Amino acid sequence: MIFSELYSAYYNAIAEILTCLIKGEKDEATLRQAVQRHAFSDSVLTVLPSLKSQKWQLVHSDMTTPVRNIPTMPLTDLQRRWLKAVSLDPRVRLFDMDFSSLSDVEPLFTPEDYVVYDAYRDGDPYTDEQYIRNFRTILSAIKEHSTVKFETVNRSGRNISLVMLPKHLEYSQKDDKFRVICAGHRFSNTLNLARIISCRKCYSVKEYFSCEHKRETRTLTLRITDKRNALERTMLHFAHFEKQAERIDDIHYNLHLTYDKEDETELVIRVLGFGPLIEVTSPQSFRNLIIERLEKQKSCGLA
Amino acid sequence: MSAYSELIKNFEKIRAYMRDFYVYGFKSRGEYNTKSSRSYDDERRRMESWLGDHMSFVRSKDGKNMFISIDSRVISHNPLYRAWKTKSFTDRDVTLHFILFDILHTPDIALTLSELLTEIDTYLADFDEPLALDESTVRKKLKEYTAEGIIIAEKQGRSVAYRRAGDTFCVKDTDAIHYFSEVLPCGVIGSYILDKQPEHPDRLYFKHHYITSALDSDVLCTLFDAIRRRCFVTLNSFTRYSSDSSVLKLVPLKIYISAQSGRQHLLAYDTRLKYIKAFRIDSLSDVQIEDTCQEYGELRAKLDSLSEHMWGVNCNKSERLSRVDFTVRIDPDEDYIVRRLYREKRIGTVEKLDESHYRFYADVYDTSELIPWIRTFICRITQLSFSDRTTENLFKKDIEAMYKLYSVGGEQS
Repeated sequence: MIFSELYSAYYNAIAEILTCLIKGEKDEATLRQAVQRHAFSDSVLTVLPSLKSQKWQLVHSDMTTPVRNIPTMPLTDLQRRWLKAVSLDPRVRLFDMDFSSLSDVEPLFTPEDYVVYDAYRDGDPYTDEQYIRNFRTILSAIKEHSTVKFETVNRSGRNISLVMLPKHLEYSQKDDKFRVICAGHRFSNTLNLARIISCRKCYSVKEYFSCEHKRETRTLTLRITDKRNALERTMLHFAHFEKQAERIDDIHYNLHLTYDKEDETELVIRVLGFGPLIEVTSPQSFRNLIIERLEKQKSCGLA
Repeated sequence: MSAYSELIKNFEKIRAYMRDFYVYGFKSRGEYNTKSSRSYDDERRRMESWLGDHMSFVRSKDGKNMFISIDSRVISHNPLYRAWKTKSFTDRDVTLHFILFDILHTPDIALTLSELLTEIDTYLADFDEPLALDESTVRKKLKEYTAEGIIIAEKQGRSVAYRRAGDTFCVKDTDAIHYFSEVLPCGVIGSYILDKQPEHPDRLYFKHHYITSALDSDVLCTLFDAIRRRCFVTLNSFTRYSSDSSVLKLVPLKIYISAQSGRQHLLAYDTRLKYIKAFRIDSLSDVQIEDTCQEYGELRAKLDSLSEHMWGVNCNKSERLSRVDFTVRIDPDEDYIVRRLYREKRIGTVEKLDESHYRFYADVYDTSELIPWIRTFICRITQLSFSDRTTENLFKKDIEAMYKLYSVGGEQS
């Protein structure tokens, strides 16, 4: 059963509170932090009062607990079955995991039971040994805050060498690609992992890499005409952006969204995909990008 | 009238609200007219408590419109998973849970029901008004935990002894669990595993990340179980536009997931219509696993054969194919467009016609599924021919409508 109190935020918060009490940490601030870490903003109004009032009989009035061992729970069958499904995914080789103890577990699903039908075909080579080595080196460098010397291929196909401080990895399911987001380089902060020929940790003055690359964002307003289910399709398609929608009348809606400047071309073609059912109303610069493409199309002589 | 609690008993009620708040976000309180106002207020308050900063509101002429706004590129963990961690429980449930696992704190300890009851009494003895945890309550909980696989029941002569299941799996790499919890189906289960691990910094982020499917995890999980067991299912199928729902008996065959919209479909054999069709998973509920389907292998092979001509999720009843054919102009310095064609062509074929023209063609069950993709090549389409003439005419009419919309070539809307 996926919706069960066994996985609840409250049970996790209680487990941490009991752990604190077993260790003799009884101060209110520590216990409140345990609730805030695991549960929700209103939970402090329930969890500690329910324990203190002996509604949940796990804490005595002197803030001791009859529980003697740090609370733990074995993995459920559902968790084991999901982990078994993880073990069947080709991308699992990127990580250091040992699934041998799950040999007798039935997977919740296998790669044959589902298909991501519109992911791009030129995804990263997850079974390539050099790619796996590069992935692990970068992940380890991120953990250790270590700089890395990359030998990579740039956009024009030239081999280049760079020293950067990797901050995190970013994965896109649509592109089926990992990117390394780095700090400290003047021109670029993103490297496609599949383009990295080799890399190794190196030791540089980290202060040089202290500047975080800031995402440059822009806003866009689309006017949706809700015909042919366009409203739902648009809202789902752009769901991953920070956005706000408003109704204008029975069939027209405005959608304001914030996007990264570096993804502007991608967004132009995504907007084009909706045809006349969504119109860019602002900014004019984005509208001009659509107009430019339509003018070129008009010159193609499509009858 | 029961008091408000941020925990819930039934997920189905909040599922629709969360979807509306996240995907649409322009409805006012008065428009949620299928439920009472109090119900709306309680659900909104819960979401505010669970999702905190991700909840926003605007004032419109219809009142205050609440919505969930999340830039999924800057968050590392799907915040909608929090909704799955809100199951309500009784005072007895929680008390018994922690006492039971404290008594059975290693897999070496095996106790009978009566031995457990004696132990439990010693835990409760010092409370002012000890809870009554009788034999039936404890037996029921042990049975429930045995079904979940966290307690093992073993015959010892004429009685049964209970011990905790052994934890042989070691989560060595939390980054792996984190990654798969965001990219694999039913990722909320991975999130449950992460919750039990020590805190760790986030090293993985996600782009083009559709998080809405989290709300359908229960339905999806049961469907996967049925697929693995090759069983029929009965389920409720409903539409967003009306309160109508119908009970269907299906053979679930495969889950189709879109990385470009986050939509998930079940491809299943409909026993009443007697053909394979797609069902949106966010429109399904109450999935019940039924008997084994003897023809499962044949039906799955049938779907595999149909998939050779499916651009998206549609395979029509008559299995009649339509030809989609178009040509694009690509300048010599536009190699990236050629790469786009090859990586995005799916079941289609790409041919180089000359130095600056490439042709795409495919035989598909549903031409309309390709239209949004073909439109992304607007600015370079030089030839287009569909055997489905109605769709071809609509495509061309739409381009004309776009010229008018943007006043291109002197055309005015």
